[in-house]
Amino acid sequence: MSAPTMPDTARPVLDVQGYSLTYATRTGPFEALKSIDLSVMRGRTMGLVGESGSGKTSLAWAILRYLPANAREGDGRLLLSGEDLRAKSPGEITDLRGRRIGMVFQDPSTSLNPTLTLGRQLTEVLVRHRKHSMTQAKAEAEALLARTGISRPAEMMTRFPHQASGGEKQRVVIATAFACNPECIIFDEPTTALDVITARQIQDLFVRLQEDTGVAALYISHDLALVSRIAHDVAVIHRGAIVEKGPSRQIFATPREDYTRMLLAAVPRPTVRLVTGEPSPQAPAILRLEGATIRYGEKNLIDRLLRREQAEVVGARDVSFALREGEILGIVGESGSGKSTIARAIAGLNDFSGTIALRERIFHARREIDRAFRRNVQIIFQNPDGSLNPRQRIRDILARPLKLYDLVPKTGLDARIAELLEQVRLPRDFAQRYPHQLSGGEKQRVAIARAFAAEPQVVLCDEITSSLDVSVQASVARLLVDLQTRTGATCLFITHDINLVRQLAHRIAVMHRGECVDLFAAADHAAPDRHSYTRLLLDAVPNAAGA
Amino acid sequence: MLDIWRHPTGLIGSCLLALVLGAAVFGAVLAPYDPQLFQPLARLQGPSAGHWLGTDQFGRDILSRILHGARATIAFGVGATLLGVVAGAVIGVTAGVVGTWVDSLIMRTIDGLLAVPDLLFTLLIVTVLGGGTGHAMLAVAVAFTPGMARISRSAVLSIRTREFVQAATARGESRIYIMAAEVLPNSVGPLIVEATIRVSFAVLLGATLGFLGLGAQPPSTEWGLMIAEARQFMFRNPWCVAAPGIAIAMTAMGFNLFGDALRDVFDPRGRR
Repeated sequence: MSAPTMPDTARPVLDVQGYSLTYATRTGPFEALKSIDLSVMRGRTMGLVGESGSGKTSLAWAILRYLPANAREGDGRLLLSGEDLRAKSPGEITDLRGRRIGMVFQDPSTSLNPTLTLGRQLTEVLVRHRKHSMTQAKAEAEALLARTGISRPAEMMTRFPHQASGGEKQRVVIATAFACNPECIIFDEPTTALDVITARQIQDLFVRLQEDTGVAALYISHDLALVSRIAHDVAVIHRGAIVEKGPSRQIFATPREDYTRMLLAAVPRPTVRLVTGEPSPQAPAILRLEGATIRYGEKNLIDRLLRREQAEVVGARDVSFALREGEILGIVGESGSGKSTIARAIAGLNDFSGTIALRERIFHARREIDRAFRRNVQIIFQNPDGSLNPRQRIRDILARPLKLYDLVPKTGLDARIAELLEQVRLPRDFAQRYPHQLSGGEKQRVAIARAFAAEPQVVLCDEITSSLDVSVQASVARLLVDLQTRTGATCLFITHDINLVRQLAHRIAVMHRGECVDLFAAADHAAPDRHSYTRLLLDAVPNAAGA
Repeated sequence: MLDIWRHPTGLIGSCLLALVLGAAVFGAVLAPYDPQLFQPLARLQGPSAGHWLGTDQFGRDILSRILHGARATIAFGVGATLLGVVAGAVIGVTAGVVGTWVDSLIMRTIDGLLAVPDLLFTLLIVTVLGGGTGHAMLAVAVAFTPGMARISRSAVLSIRTREFVQAATARGESRIYIMAAEVLPNSVGPLIVEATIRVSFAVLLGATLGFLGLGAQPPSTEWGLMIAEARQFMFRNPWCVAAPGIAIAMTAMGFNLFGDALRDVFDPRGRR
């Protein structure tokens, strides 16, 4: 080990003392970090939890000394085993990175060089920092990869990043981070870009390697449930300041600060149901899909002239299910499983084969879908930044469905808009604002109000909480359930968040590779006849914090 | 629009534009002499109290000629660009909205046309049609059309895939409403910016054609023509070439900087 002094169990490996950071922006200085105190001991994992914009990633960049040009550092020290990183020269820092302090970022596809084989990227670190010979490095790299659970390490080393899956790539990045036995490793949302099942495997790998090596880990995440499972200590960061820190168990069981309590309350707990009551089992089906298949890819002129064959992509294959009147049907699945494809087909945005039926009206293709159908089936999109026209005032956005379907007389328009805003708990005077003057959660409320303004029978919710912060997610989910109960509309709720869907759906459909593999009542999630993939999904999700 | 004053290059651009536009509007009134007045005794003089920018080979006052020429030069630049923008936008928006093989056909043709440099394109058209201000203007407009078509098509396409347009489609809005209310208002920003910058190229192209004798004809006070006429006397009085040259550069730069600043200001998300 190259630690300059005797290993000292009493002294933290990573010690941030009173560190402040400000960004110079066009609108004036922005305080990103305010007098941060944080320390990580050897053998411990410190979870750093916060919402987007809280400054958690800024802290990681500061420790690694990758600061943007407009960053102004204030007081404070960043100590690695007692040495101040701020006092080091750029050369010393370069030598230190990867050898004494490692890092694993969110997206493995951007942190690997696409032009080098995975083996080359791993051996490079060993040759440079540990002065191994090439053959030594190769043997060591294979051992490291084997330790991360890659079954054929020698073969994996010859592959390029694009030839490996996201999970495999992240394993290689983790192997690289652990390669030189660093004193400290910073993990910045390492599993956010991966699908749930792979994410779970990577988290288990992290816990195992951390225990084996005793490395001091700083684990940055927005996911409280995850942090409660893998971190020994937790620090909660809010608007650049640490509001609460302590042992994981204590923070999750007896939080002292209001903000921490609010964050914890916002984590979806599958056991706490948001919906009350069930639609009667005799309720008639309102929307039926029978053998719906959606294909992507339309040939262009040149391809047709040259008779070039184009691989056809099937987004969803032979999907059949029925929505009962007044129910919330959840659809879960990984990204690319076809769940949004289905919603877009029902909304008349994707062409389909098979049939979609609304009550007694049956449609066989997208072109048959008419305005009467569209009025009764409304869709809410994932990203509220994109789904509201930036050049229209909220008033005009909400007025459009009312005018289009002729729902209220001209004189009653403003009263109805005020009512709609009130329904989604926004102040009336928001009607005069533009979308960019609203926060993400407020924009999503406007999008919800617009969908319900049409007085639809079916509302399709396509990942409507995914782009929002945890605390906002919970209130938007509650709002939706509340509106659904009041209006009696039927909902199709699409999400990748399994805990959330268990809270608010009456029944849950599971999509996997374009097919609907399972459909069950929310209460029967543990029944023995569940599809093996459903069980895999349910097991992969960490239980809610403190539950 | 006030934001443009706070934008450093926007301020310079606006000042230059104000100067040039002022000359175009009030030039004829402000000019101290008749631009066509021959003064055989005062040929090729340097700047003096009587002639601020000196006189040319016929003894005509250069300042008066530049002030008179401003209107022709700017009218040419703005007119040619406007024609090109309208033609290009119609073609581009059609391609973007209709899609399918119509889009492929239009765009491949435009790719072919874009391979010909603007100046070569204009020269080709003027050669076929014959010279003169009207033909030169048409030529520049035609040369601008493919580029503008490409830009308007991409503006339409990038907006068309946005979720608010899909939301409108899902709501059952007509194609015409979606185009007029959702797509166009969000794509005019880049079009206006591009058009403003292109005015500067049009001014330069117009001056080039004038210089080559294919645009405005003597005794017009068009700036490019002024340079061409005075070229032989450049060494006896540099001002007769430098003054219209500087005027062209100021106009082109004014439109260019103003367009750049517009690009930054136009984004409503930058507005608070």
